[in-house]
Parts: sequence; C-alpha cells; structure tokens
Amino acid sequence: MFRRFAISLLLVMVGASAWGRTRPHYGGVLRVEIEGDPWSGPDGLARGLVLDGLTRLGSDGTVQPALAVQWQSDDAAQHWQFRLRSGVQFHDGSLLTATAVVDALNLACNANCPWTAVHAVGSSVAFTADSPTPNLPALLAQDRFLVALPVTADGATPANPIGTGPFRFTSSNNGVLTLAANEACWAGRPFADSIEIRGHRPIRDQWLDLSVGRADIVQVPPEELRQAQQQRLAIFASPPVELLALQISTSGVLANPMLRESIAAATDRSALFNVIFQKQGVVTASILPQALTGYSFLFNADRDLNKAHELRGGLAAPPLVLSFDGDGAMQLAAQRLALNLREAGFDVQVSDANHSPRPDLALRELPLEGSDPAAAMEIALRAAGEAVSVTARSSTSLFRAEHEFLDRKTLVPLLDLPRAYAIGQRVRDLALRADGTPDLASASLEDAP
Amino acid sequence: MRDAFRRVPQSQFHEASNGIIRANEKISKEMKTMMRFGLLAVLCGWLSLSANAVPAQSPWEQPAAALAEQIAGILGPGQMRLTFRNLSSIPASELPDIQRLLEQDLKTRGVTPAGDESANAVRITLSEDARQRLWVAEVIEGDQTQVAMVELAPAPPASTPAPSGLLLRKDTILTTRAPILSALEVGNALVVLEPDQIVLSSRAANGWQELKRVSIPTTDPLARDPRGILVTSQDGASFEARLPGVRCTGSLLSAGAATDWTTSCSASDDPWAIVTPPAGTTSSTSVASGASVLRAFYNATRNYFTGVVSPSLDVELPPFYSAALLPRAAGKAALLVAGIDGRVQLTENGAVSLVAGTRDWGSDLGMIRSGCGTGTQVIASGSGEAASDSLRAYELPTLEAVPVSAPLAMQGAVTAIWSAPDAKSLYAAVRTAPNQYEVDRVSALCN
Repeated sequence: MFRRFAISLLLVMVGASAWGRTRPHYGGVLRVEIEGDPWSGPDGLARGLVLDGLTRLGSDGTVQPALAVQWQSDDAAQHWQFRLRSGVQFHDGSLLTATAVVDALNLACNANCPWTAVHAVGSSVAFTADSPTPNLPALLAQDRFLVALPVTADGATPANPIGTGPFRFTSSNNGVLTLAANEACWAGRPFADSIEIRGHRPIRDQWLDLSVGRADIVQVPPEELRQAQQQRLAIFASPPVELLALQISTSGVLANPMLRESIAAATDRSALFNVIFQKQGVVTASILPQALTGYSFLFNADRDLNKAHELRGGLAAPPLVLSFDGDGAMQLAAQRLALNLREAGFDVQVSDANHSPRPDLALRELPLEGSDPAAAMEIALRAAGEAVSVTARSSTSLFRAEHEFLDRKTLVPLLDLPRAYAIGQRVRDLALRADGTPDLASASLEDAP
Repeated sequence: MRDAFRRVPQSQFHEASNGIIRANEKISKEMKTMMRFGLLAVLCGWLSLSANAVPAQSPWEQPAAALAEQIAGILGPGQMRLTFRNLSSIPASELPDIQRLLEQDLKTRGVTPAGDESANAVRITLSEDARQRLWVAEVIEGDQTQVAMVELAPAPPASTPAPSGLLLRKDTILTTRAPILSALEVGNALVVLEPDQIVLSSRAANGWQELKRVSIPTTDPLARDPRGILVTSQDGASFEARLPGVRCTGSLLSAGAATDWTTSCSASDDPWAIVTPPAGTTSSTSVASGASVLRAFYNATRNYFTGVVSPSLDVELPPFYSAALLPRAAGKAALLVAGIDGRVQLTENGAVSLVAGTRDWGSDLGMIRSGCGTGTQVIASGSGEAASDSLRAYELPTLEAVPVSAPLAMQGAVTAIWSAPDAKSLYAAVRTAPNQYEVDRVSALCN
C-alpha cells in the first residue's frame, strides 16, 4: 500500500530547463483547465484563489492561520474566539471586519453548521456551540467557510465573489474565467500575473490542449492515471484525499439495520478498484486512511455475499434508488454497485443525483483533509450530512468512535482516491494543497518575463 | 492561545514511561533516608555498580510490555495462538527481537503461546501512520474480537552517507516551525531573522534557548518568497537586519542579557549590504573603488536585487538573486552573481562574463574561506531537480566553475545561504518539510 503510494508520488516529473533552476519568477499567465465549474464542487479552484478562510490547512495538513491569526477556546471547546489579521482588505478596497466575516459565515452556513451562533467581538469572531467542537479550527479551513464580501459599500450584493485571496475576479468570457494577481494580498503577491481557468472542459480536450501548449495545468482523474502515465504526461498526484463511500438511508425499508448490513456485505470493493478505477487509490472499509491512523486494516473490506443473503433473510425489499454525483467514473461505479446488490437480491435503480433528491443509496465522494485524524473524520462525516463532533484523541478511542459509527451501516467506505494533475513544462514550484488541489498562488512560470 | 495543531494525548506507552519516572522518584526519596543514616558512601558505590551492570535496553521493551499488559488484561491467564505481521517500516531484522519480547512479557503475565488447538488467538500487527508507529493486537475469543493498541514514537530519519573529496559537512544548529531568512551565531548568542520577527537565543546545554522575540513593524504585506539578511558591524558589536522596506539594528554585546537587548527598526529602501569583509579583519580585498562593502538595491515587491549596486562597479549588472565576492590576485576581487534568468555571471576588471559549469546551480550562492585548495570556494545550492536540495563547493580558476567537493545532501529545499561573519563557514536555511525549517552550519574539511 505504502509502496504504491510512493510510486504514485514518483510520478511527479518536472520538465528540465535550459539553465539552472532559480527562485520563482514573477509574471506570466497561468492557464488551467478543469472538468467542472470553477466556482463550485471539488473542481472549484477559483473559490480558493479569490477567497480566504479564517484558517487554512497547510500542505502538511496542519491548521494554519489565515484571516485569523490566533484562536482560543474555553476548556469545553464550546466557545471559541478567532482574532482577525489586521489591515487585510477585500479586493474592492474595503477593510476586512469581524462583522463582514460573521455575515459571510451566516450566508455560507445555514444548516449542519459546527456552531450554534457566531458574532463579532471587536476585531474577533466568536463562535458558540451546544456541544464540544475541538476541531473547529480545522473545520473552518474548509471550502464552504471561505469568506466572501457579503455586501459592497453601496449596499449591493456582489455579482461575482469578492474576497481577500491572492487573485481577484476580472472577467468571464467564452467559458474562460480570468483572475488577476492581488498585489496587496496579505499572504504575499502571487507569482503569476493572472490565471485563466477554462471550466467544463472534457478530460481528453484538456490533455490535447496541454500537449499543444494551450494549457499549463489540466486534470487527471484517478481512473485515467494509468493512461496519463502511458502518454508520458508530467503528473502531480496527491495521497488519498477523497473517500468514495456508499451512503445508506435509514428511512423506509432501510430503517432495518439487517438490510443495511446486508448491503454493506454485498459491496465488491475489489471490482471498483480493479475495473472502474484501474487499480488507483486504496481499497478501504474505514473512514480514515491507513496513513492517517495506522489501524485501517482492522476494518474488513472483503465481500461476503453469503452473509449478505443471510442478513437479508428473504426479505423482499422494494426497488431502491442509488444516486451518484459527479463524472462518468462515478456513474460506472454506481452501476457496478447496483450489480453487486442485485446479486444479493436487491432491486436497485441507478439515477443521477440531480434527478433523485432523496435516494435510498448515494455514492458519495467525501473529503479526507488534514493531518489530524479526529478533525479529518469530522470533516468527512459532516460532508456526509452527519452533525457529529469527534472528540476522540488517542488511537484507541478514535478507533472505537469510528467502529461505532460504521457499525450503524449508514456509510460504507469503499475506496480512498487521490487527486492528480498534469502540468506543462512552463510550470514551476507547483505543490498540491492538503485537499489535493494545486496551490496556484505559489506556482510560477519558467518563461515569465 | 491554543496551538494551531492539537497533539494526540499521551498513549498507554507514554503512561508506562511515566510509571518508570515515578519509580525513580521513589528511589530518590529512599536515598535521602539512607543518607541520614550515614550510608552515603555505601549507596554511591552500590549505585555506581548498578549503573555499570545495567544492560543496554532494547527500544522495543516498553511498548512490548505495554501491549502484553493490555492483551493479558483482555484474555486473562491461559493459552492462545500468536501471529505476527509487519506493516511498518521496522526492518525485518528487528522482528524476532520484538516477537521474543512480546512472548516473554505475555508469559510473565500468564498468557502462553500455544498451537492451533487453542480457541483464543492474538494477531499482532506492527503498523504506522504519518505521525507515529502503532502496534495493534486483535484478541480473538471465539467470535468476539477486541483490539488493543500502543502508540510509539515515529521512526528516526535515515542518516545520509558522508561525501568524498573536499569534504563539506553540516551541523544543524536550529530547527523551527517558522521560516528563517538569516541567522547570526556570535559567541553564546544567536540572532535569527524571521519574516516578521527577530529572535534572540542563548546557548544552553541542549541547544539554543529562546530569550526574546521582537516583532518587526511593517505595513507591507508579507512576501510569498520572503528574503532578508543579517550582517554584523565591523567590530562585531552590533547587527543590521534588512527586509523589504525595513531596516533594523541591534546590539550583539548585550545579546546574552535579554533584558538589555534592544532593537530599532525603521522604514528604509536603502540598498542592502550584500558583501562585507570578514568580521574582525581589515579589508584585504575591494570590489570597487577601494570600498570593502558592496550594497545592492532590493526589489521589495519581488524577490531579487535589481542589479543596481553601491558603489557602482561601472558595469551593468543583471537583476540577481544572490552574490558572492571572490578574492583575486593583488587584493582585487570579483563579484559572482546568480541572475534571475538562471545564468551565473562574474564581474571582474570592469567586465561581466558568463560562467560555464553552473547548469546544476540553484539561485543561492555564498563564499567560504576554507583554507583548502585555493583557499576560497563558492558554495552553490543545487538546481532543485532532485527531491532534496544539496550544496556543493566550486572553484573558479577561469570562467568555468570546477566542482571541488561532492554534493552535500540537505534535508530539504535550501531557501537561503549566507557566510558566517568570519567567512570560515557558511549557513544554510533549509525547509525540511511543510512548516519545518532548520539552520545548518556548513564547513569544509581539507582532504
């Protein structure tokens, strides 16, 4: 497992330059192509470039200061106070204030928030929660809690996000989003002068653009990694940053835990791994990956069809709807899982998530972020809609908490998946962030003037 | 204030260690009692003999005992089947020792390994994650499985082989979580320049002990590739720190007494002193017009020197990242600069020439007076093509750089290098991991 991960990292290849490599150059236009929308979803690179959070996860997964420079909580971790960095300006020139942050967070989170109240206290933002939230600093680093200016000075709602990040929005034409360097960025001016993000671009077109020099950074989905290697693309691959999991409803016939357990026993992870994802990622039956806890192997990932039949006990469940969101690989994976479940006697129909708002089963990609296992588990579970607070700290107590949660059979972990990007020869100093996306603000261009 | 990263609490292994500490405290109390009865001499002799008789401890003894304790707590006395597997980086050669220790510890607690006939089984897995090692025991009694775990410290980093030839060697003098732009080691004081702070430390038995931290007032945003320098005055009594748009000065003589230590900072766009004569010497080389100090204007919104220097060299220097002064014959000197285009150029006798043999150089270079070979070498960072950076010594008899040492592997990316005040050694700031930095003192040994 570790060897395969190490080999994945060795895929990182950087084009040789004519002269010795130097410190990063300033200038130039970085061209990025993605399959999804630049402003939303896991591909939403633009949000992280334009907006900052109170905290951020460093590339090593630790929580780092961002718009907040310090934070503290009471002993119960129910009251938190985050002191804001002074002198930070939004891209429109207005000053970052605690009130603006509070308004932005209230807009960003109206359900399943890790706090019950948030309010401004001078130059600090205070959070209150009904139960202990020891992982709040890590939770606030998530994409959904990035701070966008809610209202401009003239009282209008901005048409495009205005933030404090390293790049500011300039235009969106013909499917290309253009962002310009924020000269006054609190974290330092980014190296590239501007970034052009072309969204909704099919993977094959991205690779073609990369090969003819029309793009600098393109996506490589996990199932295409082998193909990208064969095409000798220069690849940056992350460690596992996404958990592919099957979420099982507890309503209707699936309120019966035996049926949920039967579904879990019927899933064939090795088929997903070998066929759909082309042996990329890691088969798992735990929420957190082995590299984060060291105990993932304790969860049995083998399929047991006999047990699935036995648990179902001849119950004739009504047709179940299995939804998926995302790209083609997710659809194929959902169809494969439906096949698994039919073999166990379930009648399963596969449907796009947009067409089935309340499915019985949902194939989900959950984030695996950060180096703190407890925080990573809470982030993943909250993304699955579970309003939980993970307070466990030692390996033993964390294992127990994870075991207890998985015993409910509402979430069936399947695969840990990496994120990968291919880069052109102009790109230098590119690193991946904790969520596996490229840190474009720290990337520079070899041929920058 | 709460630390940005929460530590995993003490493990059972650590609890076991604390137990040992408490036992030692108990021995200490007994010693006091015995001393009252005039048995000091006898006790000292006994302690001395005991210390000599203690065999070297295996690093696996305590975790093996802790895990055996937990297993015995679950199973109770009796027989079980014991199996092992290793998912960690512990070498296979260590496994028999670990297995032997565990079996021994289990036996002393009444749990004895047996054959397949036993209904109970214990499956031991030596595992690890990114932060620590983890030993896991799955205790299986019939169809019931219970889990016991012991957390261990992570594996120590692998040592690097010594290079051959003119030998560069490094000693790590400081490790921090903040980026280090420069550092000055003077006597028993260490001054460290961070992007927004100056830190004073004093030498202690176990390294440097931080005494005082002074914030550098600046209205400019932080730089994404922060740079700065620290230089001593000619008499070695004070220092000057330079960051984009800021100049700070401070005393070195009183650095040992933190309460008296003061610094003074002000906004300044004046050029930075990039070449200074070795402290405590009179200038034997001059770069231009008899001047012993060369200053260069820094582009505060970028990460390089503009190429404009003071006093003027009467040549047009390219924008550059770093520079070093090379002594030449008859008290003259040549200026070597690492340009922002990746080229290395030498300014000598009013002419700027391209230096060959620098393809593997990065953008940081410095000078060291080793006394070996021609007496002075250029130390250049690696090109960054490899996973980890390196430093290597070169001489420039002509316009071609000739390597005179093997590359000295560093534990990460070299972010800055600068010469020591006496130029007999050189310092390198290295980013060893995200948010992990160290300062290495690099010296050369003649072969």
